[in-house]
Amino acid sequence: MSQTEGYNFAYLDEQTKRMIRRAILKGVAIPGYQVPFGGREMPLPHGWGTGGMQVTASVIGADDRLKVIDQGADDTTNAVSIRRFFARTAGVETTERTVEASLIQTRHRIPETPLSNDQIIIYQVPVSEPLRFIEPRETETRKMHALREYGAMQVKLYEDVARFGHIATSYDYPVLVNDRYMMSPSPIPKFDNPKMDRMPALQLFGAGFEKRIYAVPPYTSVKSLDFDDHPFEVQQWQESCAICGSDHSFLDEVITDDNGSKIYVCSDTDYCAGRVAASEEPQQ
Amino acid sequence: MAVVSDQLIAGFSDPVQDSQTLFRTLLKAMSEPGLIRQIEQPERAPGPLSLAGWAVALGMLDADTPLWLSRSLMQDSTLSSNLRFHCQSPLTACAAEADFALALAAELPELASFNQGCAEYPDRSATLIIQVEGISDEPDWTLTGPGIESERGLTIRGLPQAFTEQLIASRRRFPLGVDCIFVCAEQLVALPRSTQIRIGGA
Repeated sequence: MSQTEGYNFAYLDEQTKRMIRRAILKGVAIPGYQVPFGGREMPLPHGWGTGGMQVTASVIGADDRLKVIDQGADDTTNAVSIRRFFARTAGVETTERTVEASLIQTRHRIPETPLSNDQIIIYQVPVSEPLRFIEPRETETRKMHALREYGAMQVKLYEDVARFGHIATSYDYPVLVNDRYMMSPSPIPKFDNPKMDRMPALQLFGAGFEKRIYAVPPYTSVKSLDFDDHPFEVQQWQESCAICGSDHSFLDEVITDDNGSKIYVCSDTDYCAGRVAASEEPQQ
Repeated sequence: MAVVSDQLIAGFSDPVQDSQTLFRTLLKAMSEPGLIRQIEQPERAPGPLSLAGWAVALGMLDADTPLWLSRSLMQDSTLSSNLRFHCQSPLTACAAEADFALALAAELPELASFNQGCAEYPDRSATLIIQVEGISDEPDWTLTGPGIESERGLTIRGLPQAFTEQLIASRRRFPLGVDCIFVCAEQLVALPRSTQIRIGGA
């Protein structure tokens, strides 16, 4: 697809891109720390991934191949519109296949296929501050990060243990990056948290509402908070995917009729389709 | 000092694409410390500045980034004219006020004279672009930390001993500190504050 006339490459002006690029570099240098940046209006509403898009627009080049997922799926409204936005404004190639992508913008999932060192994953982040619901004042949360004062979050997780007998937090599960900064992994299911630890790909995070950028460089330690007697655990299912039969991927529950019948299917559509294609290949 | 127009040279031939290419090179370098990268553009650099140093200036500096120059770079009218013309960065004589510093390794002042950021906002620190005599992956230094799978060797030639010692000592103040980009000819390598430096091989 050719580039849209009248706009700069990848929509944002060069001055804005430089400002965001400087913020990204500082974010990379201080893993897990939230760098403020001058967020711009994007031609779609806040909450639709404007933070992630501004990071993508500042990073993307003519040779990149972009994949965009929303809850693991390439074919949902948010993913389709962001993918088409960059196809039109930057003229880049797009793909739905994880292995073919050089840039992956994601809303709330990490692909099941492990990412490689030459890929960059960009997360859309609604609330960048993991301590925000515990302490509403930015001046205070800044101090808590400065002093590495994260006891309040341990108390929040302990309240889960006291009320439910286990840590009930299931998404946006707080992590400690490089043993220093507490970070929101964005609302990915905690199933995906272990994939962030020492991931070979660079991870960038953009929060449009809060105007924050943060990053995790490749091969960086990302630990999910837990207790010695209540170690971190990911979700598990009794069922397998109704389409590809996978018993080890993140499954979505799909209600199929008014009687509450349901099936479980892979949330990662590319991974699921890949498994189906592989099983349909003629066996030699 | 005014811009001397007959000393101006061309910047990036395609400012949009070349800035993006430079940024991705720099992003790779900063996210994998000690990884030596080559820049492709521009083809000429002003005054005593290396091609890689000029590329970083063109790609990252603008009117929002106060810039500090080391002594001989400040005195070079070709360099300052081109920086003013292409980057529009305000030049400052006070190192602590600078977001970016461009320095010849031999002329580096004390590390503490640059802005190290503050506890609440460690990102408000300076980025140093340091022109050195040579960069190679021989293990004069052994680097560890985020972005490095196990460890990585690096040799920076021409860096004053005192500055190296201050850089290593500054790691104890993390997350405060400065991020360094070493440049030599077309090569660049980055050393963010998160990287631990050990003298000697593995």
